[in-house]
Amino acid sequence: MASELMKNGDGEMSKDERKVYDRQIRLWGFDGQNKLRATKVLLIGMQGLGAEIAKNLILSGVNSITLKDHTEVSILDRCSQFLIPRDSEERNRAKASFSAAQKLNPNVKVIVDTTPIEENVDSFVTSFDLVIATECSPSTYKRLSENCRKSNVKIFIADVYGLFGYFYQDVISTHSLYGEVFPNNAEIDTLTSTKKKPQLYYLTSALLKFQSDSNRKPNPDTSEEDIEELKSIIHPQINDSSSDQENKESDVFEEYYGELFCELSPTTSIIGAMVSQTALNTVMNKPVDNYNVFFYDHIEHEGKFHLL
Amino acid sequence: MAATIAGVFNPELQNLIKESKILLVGAGGIGCEVLKNLVLTGFSELEVIDLDTIEVSNLNRQFLFSKESVGKAKSHVAKTSVLKFNPNVNIMSHFGDIMDTKYGVAFFNKFKLVINALDNKKARSHVNRMCLSCQIPLIESGTMGYNGQVEFIKKGVTICYECNTRAEPRTYPMCTIRNTPKEPIHCIIWAKFLFNQLFGEIDEIVSFDEENIESEKLSARNWAIQNDYNPKKLFKKVFFDDIKALMNMKDLYADKKIKPVLLDESLLDQEHVKYSDVLDSEMLTLEQNISMFLDCVTPIKEQWEISTNKCLVWDKDDDMMMNFVVSCSNLRSALFNIPFKTHFDIKSMAGNIIPAIATANAMIAGQIVIHALRILRGKFEKCQNVFLRSMPNHKGGVLVKDRCLQPPNPKCNVCSSKGEIIFTTDMNNFTVRQLEELVLKKKLNMVAPDVTMLDRVIISSDETDGVDMYDMTLSEAGMTSGCSFDAEDDHQNFRVKIIAFDKEKSRDEDPDFEIFNNKNDLHTANEQNNKTKPDEDDEDDCFIDQAESTVCDNNGDTREAVNHLMVDKEEIGYEEVTEGGAEEIGNEEEEITEKISNEEIDAEEISNEEKLAIKRKADEAIEDINDAKKSRVD
Repeated sequence: MASELMKNGDGEMSKDERKVYDRQIRLWGFDGQNKLRATKVLLIGMQGLGAEIAKNLILSGVNSITLKDHTEVSILDRCSQFLIPRDSEERNRAKASFSAAQKLNPNVKVIVDTTPIEENVDSFVTSFDLVIATECSPSTYKRLSENCRKSNVKIFIADVYGLFGYFYQDVISTHSLYGEVFPNNAEIDTLTSTKKKPQLYYLTSALLKFQSDSNRKPNPDTSEEDIEELKSIIHPQINDSSSDQENKESDVFEEYYGELFCELSPTTSIIGAMVSQTALNTVMNKPVDNYNVFFYDHIEHEGKFHLL
Repeated sequence: MAATIAGVFNPELQNLIKESKILLVGAGGIGCEVLKNLVLTGFSELEVIDLDTIEVSNLNRQFLFSKESVGKAKSHVAKTSVLKFNPNVNIMSHFGDIMDTKYGVAFFNKFKLVINALDNKKARSHVNRMCLSCQIPLIESGTMGYNGQVEFIKKGVTICYECNTRAEPRTYPMCTIRNTPKEPIHCIIWAKFLFNQLFGEIDEIVSFDEENIESEKLSARNWAIQNDYNPKKLFKKVFFDDIKALMNMKDLYADKKIKPVLLDESLLDQEHVKYSDVLDSEMLTLEQNISMFLDCVTPIKEQWEISTNKCLVWDKDDDMMMNFVVSCSNLRSALFNIPFKTHFDIKSMAGNIIPAIATANAMIAGQIVIHALRILRGKFEKCQNVFLRSMPNHKGGVLVKDRCLQPPNPKCNVCSSKGEIIFTTDMNNFTVRQLEELVLKKKLNMVAPDVTMLDRVIISSDETDGVDMYDMTLSEAGMTSGCSFDAEDDHQNFRVKIIAFDKEKSRDEDPDFEIFNNKNDLHTANEQNNKTKPDEDDEDDCFIDQAESTVCDNNGDTREAVNHLMVDKEEIGYEEVTEGGAEEIGNEEEEITEKISNEEIDAEEISNEEKLAIKRKADEAIEDINDAKKSRVD
């Protein structure tokens, strides 16, 4: 460790760093910047959303960021993964992203990790100040959420489906765990029917159920079947929760189905930035602590927090 | 490049994305993010224009640039960077000014959609006019700290960028700057004036007291040249002799609370005091400020000697120029018992720096492309203005929108043919040249104006017309009170009827001219003037123009604002909103929420108003009397 290059967090902020971070220090002050310089981040999943989050956190000047992904580059990454150069011969997503990620800010230690998160989900997270997870299975999210709560590590969980996206945050120990918010089973409505949920909650739950059942996200190659499958999950939910007879006739998500495939750039940009800024604010002691879930509604173009 | 992958978008949208040619104006903070999003979404016919080069302070957010690219053209580097992750896209990058006449109607007509990612009102107004004239939809955007907004503009469908009056940049009474500074900002502005007097442009037009400034500048410069810019002599002249002269001027400080105090003469010969180890966030001592001043004069003089036309433009990113303003403003503060400011804070104020972060730009850029997809499909009704809040509102909203599209203002003097402008000035003193430079170009953002009155040409943008009435006063040019004339800009395809009224200056500190959007505004302003004047306990505070009182109204307390005119609501005010952090905004919103419950007004509309106000502040903070020529892009 002693031979490590001088990076963020090792000693005082240099004059060069001050120059690079000038415009944000004028926003959150030297104190805020120093807190960021001491923060070690684990980022799981390096598809388009992961790339956005990596960019935002590396630019902000965190101490270190570990890019963890065991999967291979796919053609669908071209919809939003801008850290992988087209001519890269590297197959692993995290490895292929490393050089562009490091170039964003030489002051940050960028570390690549290609072990599947499932293999070390129980112990690994404790060595970080902040965990942001994307592109995991719902059951992995559930375990991550529990482990982070136990070890008092702040966790953010985010996903983008086409132009729709959401994130979950655990910054207050009295709020529900991920698995409690998204129980991901058929009984969800009866369990939680006491409180009316925002509509997009049902879309998200259906997408997560789809992922659990099919072991993948909806895919553009199989878009028609996938939409049918989603509808079959979503309709019983909506009908049960809605006492309104008219709503049963029409599908409130009709407009949404066509744009749920891949991680699409405009929304990875929005969700990636929203989750990054909320996480950075948490590190700087300004958490959004009265809510735990954020939805970006691309049809209504609105982004709202909820407490679920 | 989502649009090249089957099944991601429906085929109709897929083709629109691939084929639509888009112009991106600005490759700064928002511009970099938008370019990335456009290219990833599959837009493949793009042009991007920016007049700026890359600076170190861009690197915390303009992620297409790196240390190695500092000094290079933003537009070219941005293009090279995005081609790495998608080489199959046609991008033409322009290193130039969008207001240049070579980007005329023919240039704009190539595009299906224009996206503004600019940082100044002048260029925004210009692109607004070009898009109105070419009937091209425009997405207008901006960020400031944690906040931001996206606006959709289409002729006849929505309000245009200029439908609502946007407040003007703050100006200061000249006599406060010269004789009676009360706040650090006055000393900072004075320091920048001093810089211009010694090293700046000679023929710059200053809106007030022109002759006086010119002669003063010449004499200060001549004095400096005669003394070969000797730092110690300059120090003695500016901070000792000139102050003594001021104090000797009869009556100047007779009944004033503010008087200068002389510095100790021993400071003239003090030893060099080390200041290099003082952080920019720490305060310098008086002695350190003196040494800093003495150290920076010669290096700046050397730069000045080799500059083209012997003229330097003050630049906050030049260390010596920045040190000059820091030391001069603090020494000036010492003379008038005003607290010192740190290098860091002075840079904010002198450079009109707006804090900026990657995440706000990325959110706004994402929303811009979502809007772009709607616009291409003709779903204009789905493109209401969107505002990014720094903290959730009481409903949890962070990205919130207007409830509906805002229709054009029928009285807009830019997008409606019925618009007219009321213009008041002292016609026996105001010249045709001032009309062109100060009113038509600076205030109304024209590029190449023509003026005709009853078919008689008074100003022509075509030199071959041989019209030269520039040195005439408006009266000599045939204008009378109540007359009307047409001002037009062929390049922008913008014309407006101007009704001129003669109004003598009652005091030196009165503005040289005023602009109103209708006669009612003129009457209101006159009444307000009459009301506030007797209350003034300090005649220095009297120079408020109409635009400022508009801002004050937005802030809800005109009287308060009049009294605190000396505090720069725009340049410092934004710090309260942004630097002070989220809590302050949160408090403001709590109050707003209360108002809503009382008056049953939709919460989001109120907060949007508030966001608009912040946006206006952002516009203003960026403009500066001295920096108007350099339009930067974020």
